[in-house]
Amino acid sequence: MKAIQIEKLKKVYPVVKGYRELLFHPFRRKGITALRGIDLEVEPSQCFCLMGPNGAGKTTLIKILSTLVLPDEGNVIINGHDLKINTDEVKKHIGFALSEERSFYWRLTGLQNLDFFAALNGIPLSHRREKIQEVLNLVGLENAAERRFNTYSTGMRQMMAIARALLTDPDILFVDEPTRSLDPVAAQNIRNFLRKDMVENHKKTVFWATHDLSEAQEFAHTIAVIAQGQIRDKGSVSDLTEQGKISLQKVYKKAVEES
Amino acid sequence: MNTLIQKLFAFLKRDFLEEASYKFSFVTSFVGIFLSSATFFFISKLISPNSDSVLDPYGGDYFSFVIIGIAFSGLLAMFQERLPAVIRQAQITGTLEAILVSRTSIPVILFGSSLYYFLFSVVSTVFHLVLAVIVFGMQVEQINWLGALATFFLTAVCFLSIGILSACFILVYKKGNPFSWIYGSVSGLLGGVFFPIKVLPGWIKWISYLLPITYSLEGLRKSIITSSSFSEILPSILALSVFAGIFFPLSLYTFRLALKKAKKDGTLTHY
Ligand SMILES: Nc1ncnc2c1ncn2[C@@H]1O[C@H](COP(=O)(O)OP(=O)(O)OP(=O)(O)O)[C@@H](O)[C@H]1O
Ligand SMILES: [Mg+2]
Repeated sequence: MKAIQIEKLKKVYPVVKGYRELLFHPFRRKGITALRGIDLEVEPSQCFCLMGPNGAGKTTLIKILSTLVLPDEGNVIINGHDLKINTDEVKKHIGFALSEERSFYWRLTGLQNLDFFAALNGIPLSHRREKIQEVLNLVGLENAAERRFNTYSTGMRQMMAIARALLTDPDILFVDEPTRSLDPVAAQNIRNFLRKDMVENHKKTVFWATHDLSEAQEFAHTIAVIAQGQIRDKGSVSDLTEQGKISLQKVYKKAVEES
Repeated sequence: MNTLIQKLFAFLKRDFLEEASYKFSFVTSFVGIFLSSATFFFISKLISPNSDSVLDPYGGDYFSFVIIGIAFSGLLAMFQERLPAVIRQAQITGTLEAILVSRTSIPVILFGSSLYYFLFSVVSTVFHLVLAVIVFGMQVEQINWLGALATFFLTAVCFLSIGILSACFILVYKKGNPFSWIYGSVSGLLGGVFFPIKVLPGWIKWISYLLPITYSLEGLRKSIITSSSFSEILPSILALSVFAGIFFPLSLYTFRLALKKAKKDGTLTHY
C-alpha cells in the first residue's frame, strides 16, 4: 500500500474582491491558483522531499494533506483512507509539525504545552506522562521541558513542533521547511533526526517540504520538484541526476524553468 | 466519556495557566465589581422605594434590580467577547491549526475554549451577589433555586450560542463583529439590565422581547428577589428554551460552515 496517493489535486484560493471590482464585475471569479492538478505517490517508510521555489505550492499541499485546507478538486488517499470521506481516520495516521512557532502557548512550559495537545489527541491521563517523556527523549528536549516556551531557541521550538506531531505515533510525518532560520548545527540535527531516527529506525514516512537542494540531495530517498502548482520531476536522487552525471542543481533549474 | 472530560479539563488548565501568568487580572476584575456595585448602591439611593410602580414586580428596590442585571449580563458579555477573542488569538498565533489537526471535535473545542471564562464569570456573578447581600444589604428572602438554576442554565446555553455566532464571524471576516454590537449595546439598552423594559415606549419594547437576555433577567429576578413560584417563572423559562433550541444548533451548524469556509480560503492562520 502506498503511504500517500494524490490524484489531480487542484486548489485555487479565492481572492477578496475590492469594492470597485464587486461593482463592475460582480460575477467574475478571481483567485490565486496554488495547485494545478497534482498527481503524486509516496511510498511508505521513505524520506520524501518536496522541493520547490517560493510560492510553488508546498505549504498548500501539506496543509491539504493534513486537513487544514480544503482542495477544490482531486482525490487523496492516505494509508488507504480517503481524505475527503474519512477525515477522522486519516488524522490517526498523520502528524503535522506546524512550522509556525507561535502555534504553542508561549507563557506555558514545553511540558504543559505537550500535555494540552496530548489530551486533545485523546491520550488518557494515565499514559500521558509516559508518552510525553518518550517524545521528549526522542527529540532530546527532556531537560528543557519545565521551561517556558518563550525561553526556547528557534531550533528547540522546531523540535517541539515535531515532538507534538509524534505524540499520536503517526505513520506519516509532515514537515514544512523544518530547517528554516536555523543555524547549521541545529539544522543538521533536525535533518539527521528526520532521516535516521524517524525513517530508518522508526520506519515512518517523512514528507518534507524544502527549497534547500543540498538538504534534499543528502537526505531524501525520493525527490519531487514542484513549481507553479505542478509536479515537474520526480525520482530518487540517483535517477534524477542520472547516477551523478548531472548535478541536482541543473535538474532542479531545468524542471522549475520549463513551462 | 472519560477522554471527553479530560479534554475539557485540558482546556480549563491551559486557560488557567495562561491567565494565572498575568497575576493582576484576577485582582483587578474583583476590584472592578466592587466599584461598580458601590456606584449603583449610591445611585439607588436616589430612587426612593414606593415612588416608582414599575419596580414593584421586582420588590420595589432598585439596587437588587440592577445588581441582578449587571451580574448576569456580565455572563453574556463574557461569552460574546471572550469566545471570538480566543478564536481570533488562536488564528493569529497558529494554535487554531494545531488544535484542529488534533482529534477533537468542534463542539468540544468550542465548549473547552469557553469553559474557563464561563467558570470565571460564574464566580464573578456569585461574587457580585454575595457582595450585594453582605456589604450593601441587598434583601433576599427565599431564593427559588430550581427556577434560578433552570433560568441560569438556559441563559448560559443562549449566551454561549451567541458567543459561537460571534466567533464564526471572526473566523471568516477576522474583524468587525456585528453580534457584539447588537448584543452588547442593544442588550444593555433594551434587555432590562438597568431599568425594567416597561418604561420603554411601545414599539421599542417589541425589540426587547426578541432578546434572550430580557427573559433571563426576568426569570432570575423573579427567582432571586421576589421568591416567585416556579409557575410564575415558567414563561421566561419557556421563552429561553425556544431561544436555546434555535440558537444552539444554529450556532454549531454555522461554526461548521465558517470553519469550512476558512479551510477553503486558507485563512485558518491569518493576520
Ligand atoms: N491563504 C491564502 N490565500 C491566498 N493565496 C494564498 C494563500 N496561501 C497561499 N497562497 C498562494 O498560493 C501559492 C502557493 O503558496 P504556498 O504557500 O503553498 O507556497 P510554498 O511553496 O509553500 O512557498 P514558500 O516556499 O514561500 O513557503 C502562492 O502563490 C501563494 O501566494
Ligand atoms: Mg511554504
